[in-house]
Amino acid sequence: MTGTSAGGPTRSVTAETAPQAAAVARQRLAQPNGWWGMALFLCAEVTLFGTLLATYFYLDFGAHRWPPAGIKPPSVLLPLLATAGLISTTVPMLLAVRASRAGSRGRTAWLIGFALIIQCGYLAGQVLLFRHDLRQFSPQRTAYGSIYFTMLAAHHAHVLLGVLLDIGVLWHVAARKLSNYWLIAVRCVALYWHVVNVIAVLVVLTQLSPSL
Amino acid sequence: MLVAGCGKQSILSTRSPQAHNIMLLWWWMLGAAVVVFLGALGLLVLAWFRRGTAGLPFFGERESAPEAMVVMFGIAVPVVVLVVLFGVANLYLIRQTSPPSPRSTAMTIDVIGHQWWWEVRYPGSAAVTANEIHIPVRTRVNIVATTADVIHSFWVPALNRKIDMIPGRRNRVLLYASSPGVYRGQCSQFCGLQHAHMSMYVDAQPASQYRAWLANMGAPARTPSTAAARTGEQVFMGAQCASCHRIAGTPAQADVGPDLSHLATRSSLAALTIPNVPSELAAWIRNPQAIKPGDRMPDLGLSDNQIASLVAYLDALR
Amino acid sequence: MATSITPRGQQHVDRLERIWAERPGLVGWVTTTDHKRIGIMYFFTALAFFGAGGVEALLIRTQLIGPNHHLLSPAAYDQVFTMHGITMIFLFVIPMTTGAFGNYLIPLMIGARDMAFPRMNALSYWIFLASGIFMYVALLSGHAPNAGWFDYVPLASKQYDPGTNIDFYGYGLIFNGIASTAASINFIVTIFKMRAPGLSLNRMPLFCFAFLAVSFALLFALPSLSVAALFLELDRQLGFHFYDPAQGGDPLLWQNLFWIFGHPEVYIIILPAFGIATSIIPTFVHRKMVFFPLVALAEILVAFLGFGVWLHHMFTVGFATLTTVYFAAASLIIVIPSAIQLFAWIATILTGKPEFKTPLLFIVGFIIYFMIGGLSGITLAAIPFDQQVHDSYYIVAHFHFVIFGAAVFPILGGMYFWFPKLTGRMYHEGVGKLSFWLTFLGTLVTFFPMHILGLLGMPRRNYTYPPDLGWSFLNALETIGSYVLAVGLVMIVANLLISYFRGAEAGNDPFGGDTLEWSTTSPPPPYNYAVIPTVTSAYPMWDKEDREADSRRLDRGEGLLERGHETPATTVQDAEWDEILSMPSHSVWPAVSALMLAGIFSMLLLHHYWIAFGFLVVGALVLFRWHVKGVTA
Ligand code: HEA
Ligand code: HEA
Ligand code: HEC
Ligand code: CUA
Ligand SMILES: [Cu+2]
Repeated sequence: MTGTSAGGPTRSVTAETAPQAAAVARQRLAQPNGWWGMALFLCAEVTLFGTLLATYFYLDFGAHRWPPAGIKPPSVLLPLLATAGLISTTVPMLLAVRASRAGSRGRTAWLIGFALIIQCGYLAGQVLLFRHDLRQFSPQRTAYGSIYFTMLAAHHAHVLLGVLLDIGVLWHVAARKLSNYWLIAVRCVALYWHVVNVIAVLVVLTQLSPSL
Repeated sequence: MLVAGCGKQSILSTRSPQAHNIMLLWWWMLGAAVVVFLGALGLLVLAWFRRGTAGLPFFGERESAPEAMVVMFGIAVPVVVLVVLFGVANLYLIRQTSPPSPRSTAMTIDVIGHQWWWEVRYPGSAAVTANEIHIPVRTRVNIVATTADVIHSFWVPALNRKIDMIPGRRNRVLLYASSPGVYRGQCSQFCGLQHAHMSMYVDAQPASQYRAWLANMGAPARTPSTAAARTGEQVFMGAQCASCHRIAGTPAQADVGPDLSHLATRSSLAALTIPNVPSELAAWIRNPQAIKPGDRMPDLGLSDNQIASLVAYLDALR
Repeated sequence: MATSITPRGQQHVDRLERIWAERPGLVGWVTTTDHKRIGIMYFFTALAFFGAGGVEALLIRTQLIGPNHHLLSPAAYDQVFTMHGITMIFLFVIPMTTGAFGNYLIPLMIGARDMAFPRMNALSYWIFLASGIFMYVALLSGHAPNAGWFDYVPLASKQYDPGTNIDFYGYGLIFNGIASTAASINFIVTIFKMRAPGLSLNRMPLFCFAFLAVSFALLFALPSLSVAALFLELDRQLGFHFYDPAQGGDPLLWQNLFWIFGHPEVYIIILPAFGIATSIIPTFVHRKMVFFPLVALAEILVAFLGFGVWLHHMFTVGFATLTTVYFAAASLIIVIPSAIQLFAWIATILTGKPEFKTPLLFIVGFIIYFMIGGLSGITLAAIPFDQQVHDSYYIVAHFHFVIFGAAVFPILGGMYFWFPKLTGRMYHEGVGKLSFWLTFLGTLVTFFPMHILGLLGMPRRNYTYPPDLGWSFLNALETIGSYVLAVGLVMIVANLLISYFRGAEAGNDPFGGDTLEWSTTSPPPPYNYAVIPTVTSAYPMWDKEDREADSRRLDRGEGLLERGHETPATTVQDAEWDEILSMPSHSVWPAVSALMLAGIFSMLLLHHYWIAFGFLVVGALVLFRWHVKGVTA
């Protein structure tokens, strides 16, 4: 009864090909469990970043000088550009979800691949900036350094995780199949990136707040 | 009077308007809580005896009677009780326990928490002491509570609320004693191994006695007058004692441990762990780790003779 | 209602048995994804930790039986009371409620055949077990955490606590938090998506509402603790300065982060107890819960409001009066939803026909102790009074009444209540009642005098006390009480243990319960229900026709889902049947992943960062393989 809407619930697991999976997805009344799982996991992650950002401002408001004497306020241009690049990947990720729901395995893979390239570029750039900053000041000298680097490292780790998720999904969709399970996976990864992109904006604004 | 206050650490035997009002608040809260508790308990007891009789007392037999009861006891009554409590405790009474405004107090005393003793300083005087805070009676005293290491909490229940001593912060609390007496206090924030032995006395004295006491405390330590005491002084300066303690007017000027300039005026040792009598003092110097395991003062391996002379010296520091 | 099964029905049942069979023996337990077996493992593990935490409590009490006793050295005492708090909260109550009760009962109550993510469920258990062992290695090696369960810095900083004690705390809690986060995600999705068709949200048992609220609270509270512990370890291991005021940090940052977690945590502890109470009461008073919707709302409100009161643990740190007053007001507001529930229970008992069997007795005990603990909680929201008794034994009294009296009593009652369901046997009623009275009196004698001690000025966390302050008698009394309490608790465990072998047959529904779990066999089969149950009200077991219809459907072979590990997924609000899911079956990967995590944290603790990284890489490979191979059943 895969993909047919003849009343009754679908046996979604039998949707093995992209068109079948797409049909199941379109027919679903509620979000699939996998999507819910990812959404809730992201709730926890957003709270985690909320805590990090709150800590940043807590220490900021408690300090006489922020950043402390001897540390230059962060330079604005590169981080903002990088972030703009990252959030532009929202578009291909959105389109990838659309393509998958339209049953187009090839397009899904291409769009994810395209986003992946930008995301990797962002990560590489941020790692370089991170190392540059580390040469300027240390997390072991001041609380400013501690929260600055911890916050950024936490964010970059999330980007790295996203890249790994991309690779896993991409490999499976491109080389194997776009079954029901992997269609949900595409949606989950897209959701993950949407949230990480929002976090990226908040993190970069926090990071640059002394200079804004 | 002096005896009544001594040794007690109860929030129910108070000697200041602040602590007294908190105590009144407590008795009122207790009364209200007992009424609420017995009322609800009564309903449960009723359930035991009724076992299935229809309807509810007071609320009748209507279908909605149980719901009316929930709204009444679960929302209406608590809202009233809580609003009253909030007003009395957190709007009115709290002003008395808030840190005193600077101009409302007659004097300031700095109390600094250490693992595991209290350093007491009197700004404007050279007086430094430990574990015994003297204040003039019926005087508003501003206590500035800070710490030299971890978090401690300054608490003298008979006089006022407690206040934490936190690194990087200068907290203040009002101390006011309405009658002379000795009031016990104890550190109430867990601060490590000897948190249990970190107590102190507040000694509220009539103004004249207090002034005399302060003058004595501000003066340099007495020079030893007996041979034993003089040997004791040499031992003190020669052994490691001087690397940790201060005795005003001598080369010993360290501030790791309590100031010993007027040790003999104190009634107890090591933050109220043992009474200040020669035998206990000797025991302390011989083996502080047996009395306060984990304490910052080490066993120094002194001979009996050295200890005897040290006791003779310290015991004369009035 | 338990109509006998016809031969045709039996064929279907046999087929389901074959489909859902797991591997035999020990391997079966290690690889299981059956929520009931996972629940049972949670139960025994948490019970063992309860025993450990209880032994620690008895050590504390024995030390304090008289002034200047030296059973434990100060160093040992500090480790023992810290481990007592950590064990009871993180390794006993949370795993016992969510892990054991939630896991076992929620899928049954909502008519599902498994949790939404069965393997993640197993993963949660194994991580919890590993984190518990991790922290107990600390105690057995003499390096247990020793700065109290809220572990204030700077006492917990490297400077004042240079050993590995605190690192066990920091890493252990992050480790443990992963398990709880995964479990709470699993519960939410299960409750949202896996309910039997027709079991719309407004028909959902209050038990499930409570667990839904708990899961959300855990999900949003834990990150704060994890971040706090991360900062702590960065400070300790790498010399960062989050909590160091000399370099711009702040020790109060720790306190804020801890209590932003810590206060929601205490409601996380009590909410499952509310859920258990709302299951036991209707059953034994033979009456529906009074004011169901308001009680459901109150349960959710408690969890929600619990996030806005954390500062009431910090009334003495010297914040501006206005700040403290705000949080005191919030603490008072939260009393209302508690009072609503309390009187809804009382009204239900009062207007029903109560049968005071052991489980209900424990719930009555719970109500009484929740009142005592709650009323003393209100006094603590009166700031000036709190500033007097903060960190004295009055606080210890408050929270043991709400935690032990109110949160643990329903757990004990629930153990009796669902024992017949789990084992098919009845417990011994007489011994049950006796065990109730012993625990009830033991609790009163142990914890009530602590209020008075607090008022007499006895601070908490003292390894001993002087004889001349009038504290000795009450302390001795408490110690005696704690021994009585221990006897009562052991009697409960013994009653259940012996009944497991000797108890009378219980049948499917010995008490006339109202929720679905009573409709299946005791113990339930691996697939829970042969036919997916029909639900048309909030009291499905009291709808006789529905249950009879279910057994007719079994005959006809309707609603069986027997092509694999199948179970329905429904829509979030109305529980419309949306799709048929095929659940993954048994797997070793969850246990292996937990082992990898244990490797990571142990190596971090021992400063072997490269080996930890190695474990991370292997762990990632394990996860990859788990997902790529085990996708479809
Ligand atoms: C299960 C856990 C649990 C629960 C449910 C509660 C419930 C409450 N707690 Fe408690 N609390 C703890 C566990 C819990 N607490 C712990 C563990 C600590 C100490 C941690 C530590 O320091 O180690 C603590 C500490 C603590 C403090 C800090 C004390 C201090 O350290 O100085 C405060 C202060 O406001 C407080 C308040 C409250 C309040 C107002 C409630 C309310 O929610 C209570 C609501 C319930 C009722 C009020 C009773 C029933 C209602 C009625 C009988 C109706 C009638 C009522 C009226 C007419 C008013 N608690
Ligand atoms: C859920 C939480 C919980 C529970 C259930 C308990 C239960 C008990 N607690 Fe606990 N307690 C805390 C949470 C809890 N406590 C916390 C958070 C602290 C603060 C720690 C800190 O300050 O950091 C604390 C602190 C604390 C202190 C204060 C220590 C101090 O400040 O110096 C004391 C003192 O008496 C105490 C006593 C007890 C006693 C006698 C019990 C008794 O109720 C225990 C009875 C249990 C048993 C006797 C076990 C029986 C055994 C079985 C049923 C299992 C048998 C089966 C097998 C072996 C498989 N507790
Ligand atoms: C390493 C530091 C150190 C050395 C060396 C040291 N002390 Fe101490 N001493 C302390 C500290 C710290 C305390 C506070 C102990 C407490 O109450 O916890 C203390 C307390 C005391 C007290 C009690 C003071 C009071 O008011 O209660 C006396 C008396 C004393 N020391 C005497 C001596 C003598 C005599 C010597 C040398 C033989 C000595 N100390 C060496 C650190 C030291
Ligand atoms: Cu100082 Cu406790
Ligand atoms: Cu709280």
